[in-house]
Amino acid sequence: MADSRTARLIGAVLRCYPARWRRRHGEEAAELAALLIRDGTPAASIAWSYVAGAAREWLTPGHGRRLGAVACVLLAGACLMGVSAGLLTSTMPARAASTSQARPRAHCRPASPRPALGMIPAAGHPQAIIEFAGHGRSC
Amino acid sequence: MAVGGRDDMAAQDVLRRAGEASVLILISLASGPKHGYALIQDIKDLVGVELGPGTLYGALDRLERLGLIEPLPADDRRHPYRITAPGAAALRVHLDSVERVSAAGRLRLQLGGI
Repeated sequence: MADSRTARLIGAVLRCYPARWRRRHGEEAAELAALLIRDGTPAASIAWSYVAGAAREWLTPGHGRRLGAVACVLLAGACLMGVSAGLLTSTMPARAASTSQARPRAHCRPASPRPALGMIPAAGHPQAIIEFAGHGRSC
Repeated sequence: MAVGGRDDMAAQDVLRRAGEASVLILISLASGPKHGYALIQDIKDLVGVELGPGTLYGALDRLERLGLIEPLPADDRRHPYRITAPGAAALRVHLDSVERVSAAGRLRLQLGGI
């Protein structure tokens, strides 16, 4: 019972490998797993090793190109969606501004910059000294 | 010049970034052709490291792509591999490099009085 379950587990894990790999190593890999389990290696650790190996196998250059192409298509799709969403959100405040205009409160009108008093620019170096005067309260 | 020399050495040592599993497999195959199960057992006896089967096949494929090992005709379902001449040369270069690093490390430990 446990043996058949283990064999099914290993079989399922080996199916994670690319077909090319399975044709080459599949039978030997299943036999190797059976031998290692017979020697006392836990089936879970063998299965995990094959899972990690399958992931590495898919990421090797041959398959990497295919995965890279899929990743590029997904990235391009995500970018297009992002651009569309960006355009939508950028037009929404403009519409909102055209229909209702926010009135600034009297007490929080921004102060206009004015020259500071009591400061003399250095001779020969004309410079504008600007002091920003605000009321200091949050609006 | 010294930097160039180090670069040349790194270029020759193709196993520098191949991983420990690849080096252990080459060391095991240096004593004769073996299939997967025999490799795992031999490496376990040799250095006490039990290679996972997924790691083993990944390393075997990588070494074969590099031309450092080659498969022999299948014996039933088992595929034995043997080390090639470039594989033996690469292993020698790598072991020399490891030996140099090891010697330098021991010397520094000695000088540091640790």
